[in-house]
Amino acid sequence: MKLRVLLVGLVSFFCLSAAYAAELANPRNMTFPALSFNIPKAERVLLQNGIPVYLLQDHELPIVTISALIHTGSVYDPADKSGLAVLTGSQLRGGGTKELAPAALDAELEFMASSVESSFGSDLGTVSLTSLTKNLDLTLQLFSDVLFRPRFDEKRLEVARRQALEMIRRQNDDPKELGDRELQKVLYAGHPLGVIPTAATVSAVKRSDLQAFHQRFVRPDNMILTVAGDFDRTRMLAALNRLIGQIKPEGRLQLPDIPQLKLRFEPAVLYAPKQVNQSVIRLGHLGITKEDPDLYAIRVLDFILGGSFTSRLMMEIRTNQGLAYNVGSHFDVGRHFIGSFTAETETKAEATAKTIGLMTSIIAAIRTEPVSEQELKLAKDSIINSFLFGFTTPASIVVQQARLEFYGYQPDYLERYRERIAAVTREDLLQAAKKHLHPEAFKLVVVGDQKGFDKPLSSFGTVTTLDLKSE
Amino acid sequence: MMQPVVKTIAGLFLLLFIASQAGAANLEDKVVEHTFKNGLKLLMVERHSSPTVSAWIRFKVGSVHERSDERGIAHLLEHMLFKGTKTLGTRDYGAEAPLLEKIEETAQRMLAEEAKGGGADKATLAGLRAELARLEKQAEQYVIKDEFFDLYARNGGSGYNAFTSRDGTTYLISLPANKLELWAAIESDRMKNPVLREFYTERSVVMEERRRSYDAEPSSKLWETFVAAAYQTHPYGQPTIGWSSDIRQLSRTKAESFLKRYYAPNNAIIAVVGDIRPAATIALVERYFGDIPPGTPVPEVAAQEELQQGERRVEVLGDAEPELIIGFHKTALGAADDEVFDLISSVLGQGRTSRLYRSLVLEKQLATQVSVFDAPGNRYPNLFVLYASPRAPHTAAEVEQALLAELERLKKEPVSQQELQQVLNQLEFEEARRMGTNGGLARNLTEYEAIAGSWRYLTTYRAKLTKITPAAIQRVAQQYFTRENRMVGTLVTKKPGGAQK
Repeated sequence: MKLRVLLVGLVSFFCLSAAYAAELANPRNMTFPALSFNIPKAERVLLQNGIPVYLLQDHELPIVTISALIHTGSVYDPADKSGLAVLTGSQLRGGGTKELAPAALDAELEFMASSVESSFGSDLGTVSLTSLTKNLDLTLQLFSDVLFRPRFDEKRLEVARRQALEMIRRQNDDPKELGDRELQKVLYAGHPLGVIPTAATVSAVKRSDLQAFHQRFVRPDNMILTVAGDFDRTRMLAALNRLIGQIKPEGRLQLPDIPQLKLRFEPAVLYAPKQVNQSVIRLGHLGITKEDPDLYAIRVLDFILGGSFTSRLMMEIRTNQGLAYNVGSHFDVGRHFIGSFTAETETKAEATAKTIGLMTSIIAAIRTEPVSEQELKLAKDSIINSFLFGFTTPASIVVQQARLEFYGYQPDYLERYRERIAAVTREDLLQAAKKHLHPEAFKLVVVGDQKGFDKPLSSFGTVTTLDLKSE
Repeated sequence: MMQPVVKTIAGLFLLLFIASQAGAANLEDKVVEHTFKNGLKLLMVERHSSPTVSAWIRFKVGSVHERSDERGIAHLLEHMLFKGTKTLGTRDYGAEAPLLEKIEETAQRMLAEEAKGGGADKATLAGLRAELARLEKQAEQYVIKDEFFDLYARNGGSGYNAFTSRDGTTYLISLPANKLELWAAIESDRMKNPVLREFYTERSVVMEERRRSYDAEPSSKLWETFVAAAYQTHPYGQPTIGWSSDIRQLSRTKAESFLKRYYAPNNAIIAVVGDIRPAATIALVERYFGDIPPGTPVPEVAAQEELQQGERRVEVLGDAEPELIIGFHKTALGAADDEVFDLISSVLGQGRTSRLYRSLVLEKQLATQVSVFDAPGNRYPNLFVLYASPRAPHTAAEVEQALLAELERLKKEPVSQQELQQVLNQLEFEEARRMGTNGGLARNLTEYEAIAGSWRYLTTYRAKLTKITPAAIQRVAQQYFTRENRMVGTLVTKKPGGAQK
């Protein structure tokens, strides 16, 4: 680049502007120097008790991050105690440790500007640490205490429970959240993923339930650790072995079997009344798992249909017709359980039916004709060329790799991801779309005020009106 | 200084970790600055931790610089600047341009008719609207839709976006490091030759954005109402997106006028952070942006808020559970008392050990969450805000009393050394953490260069906070947390059906 500037400087002044113009490349056909990108590799080591640890040193910043990925989550909630996993996840850290009452633990960590946090999702529990290098000793001790020696303080549990009850009271305040939740419920009806905690189930959870849940899942044979940042490998492994590596699992690990949902495609129309001038539209059906051979075709399809700013849904509904600010669709690829395909938008009440119709027909169209060569190329180029953004921090690199093992991906999944995307053809996409998209069987959720709709929702099927107050 | 608990625990085991050779995370040493002849400011940080680069362009113009008939234009213009240039986003600008003129002529007639309100001729209006739609449709034949997005996407761009605030407008992207020239080519073209095509369709998109973000969300509606009520003189009170009626009367002519007035290199700050060489980056920016002529500097906002002389209360009835906001007028970022407010804000609201969390959330359990922040901008005197969600059966009034009691405590008792030290410790961590991502660094550099006048605000900040005494905190609390200076906003649950008492 420097050389080119020098050359420009040599051109005589009256053709300077022409020289400049010639120098400025056209974004449509610019060429670039080659960029080599190899996926940064974390080292995998076993602690003395067998816990896998992914390590990646990076001394740019005086910060260390650690995380534990645990096989647990709300799918294991007993039906009458839905909310147990989430409470256990929050109180693992929130409820203090055997040595430190919650307030003392809070004070200890926050004075050092260290953080230890814990939360349990649907099928993954995480406990994470962030610390300045100089405070790592103490923070790591507290991290291991939180993991294996939680106190589950009764008073803090009560605070957390009351907060959860208040959140349930508030769960219909935001129409978008309401729409998302009702779609999740109807898609996964009959499966733990479709169960939403209620006041009754949250009230039924006792401290002893948290202790039992912790004992059952947070054990050395049920987790993976990651360590990234400014640490010394030898010392770190010694510390981890001393604090965590000596803990032996009690008895045999028993992860209850969660039944898989039967793939069934039946339409439904749900209406949630809300006095607003804009309707929330959510629709979808069950999707695929990561084992599906169409996985890569689905990733490319996602980009073209509703995953990018120039996707078909965005282009027609936002850019061409100005009907919405936000519109898109997404295959959430299932890892342990079957995933989903969902589409979403919000539009003014008087455009509700029109927009639902447009979304449905745009999705249906991708099943009938192959996408264009240009669409395919853009999607593949974008996915392949932006791949490196998944690896910009040491913490994201180690967690990426640990998650592959956690969810049981093929070991070469990341290595071969780009070439597998590159191999997807228009025909692959068409077949995947035909197989995995079912517009005739959408579960449709609309939150809004039907008085203002352009057509009654009954034009999309038999409407079930949700009674929001009784929940 | 250290807490007793720390000693007991630390005594239990050997200190295994000694600070390694790291710690070079010093912003002062890492930023390279360059100002071009046309006034454009470039800030760079070289980081080779991944082969990527983030580039942020910040214009020092936001909604606070709009005239009353332009409210919403800074944000709508931000949307419009994604629509292309004379060469990008079009198949044939020569053929397209006359059609764009016809569209604007029609739109102007439509807006004039609409301005008559109830006196507008319905048939004329319907005719003009149909004509506008027809012409925009006709112009589509020349449009290559969202070509900027496609160009960045196919080259691996990530997080291409923009945002508008009271104080400024920012355009951002991250790219594989070998594609930085693409950014320079697109962004300089966008500064030199923008074409605001598809204007009236995009205006509809912004109307939907407004419905989504404010009209259909009671807590956001309360926020908008609260901020508007806090300002009688200064434009900080107007929402950046504009009121509904503001957006409906915006035109391409107004957007172009705003664009020409303010989008000049001397009003812009660029930050490029990542796998770059500063010398080569300066040359690249010179080559693409160097010939853009400077424009008029963005003027300071002349209006000054009149001193508030009594508590102001607002309420919004909504289909949602109660929320409470309390605010006090305060100084702008960089003014003498502002850093004292930052300390107060941390002591009151940062983390589980903060005073408000301990008192209202853990002990009295009046609220599920309390947050403390500055709003709605930073360039001009703003508000110190406390936001809380009451926990039933407790009311917003109870929460209000508890919050005010904590403010009274600040006036009466000096804040402990330990609380102050904790804030400083957290800042030390923050100084390291913020060096960890290209985008985060680019954000900080452009933001503080624009608002505080120099990115060095970041490097001198902790030293300034270290000097603040407990007495200064008491003085500021007494001076500002008064009834006359107070704003209170509540979201009240609207009972379906009947009228509200």
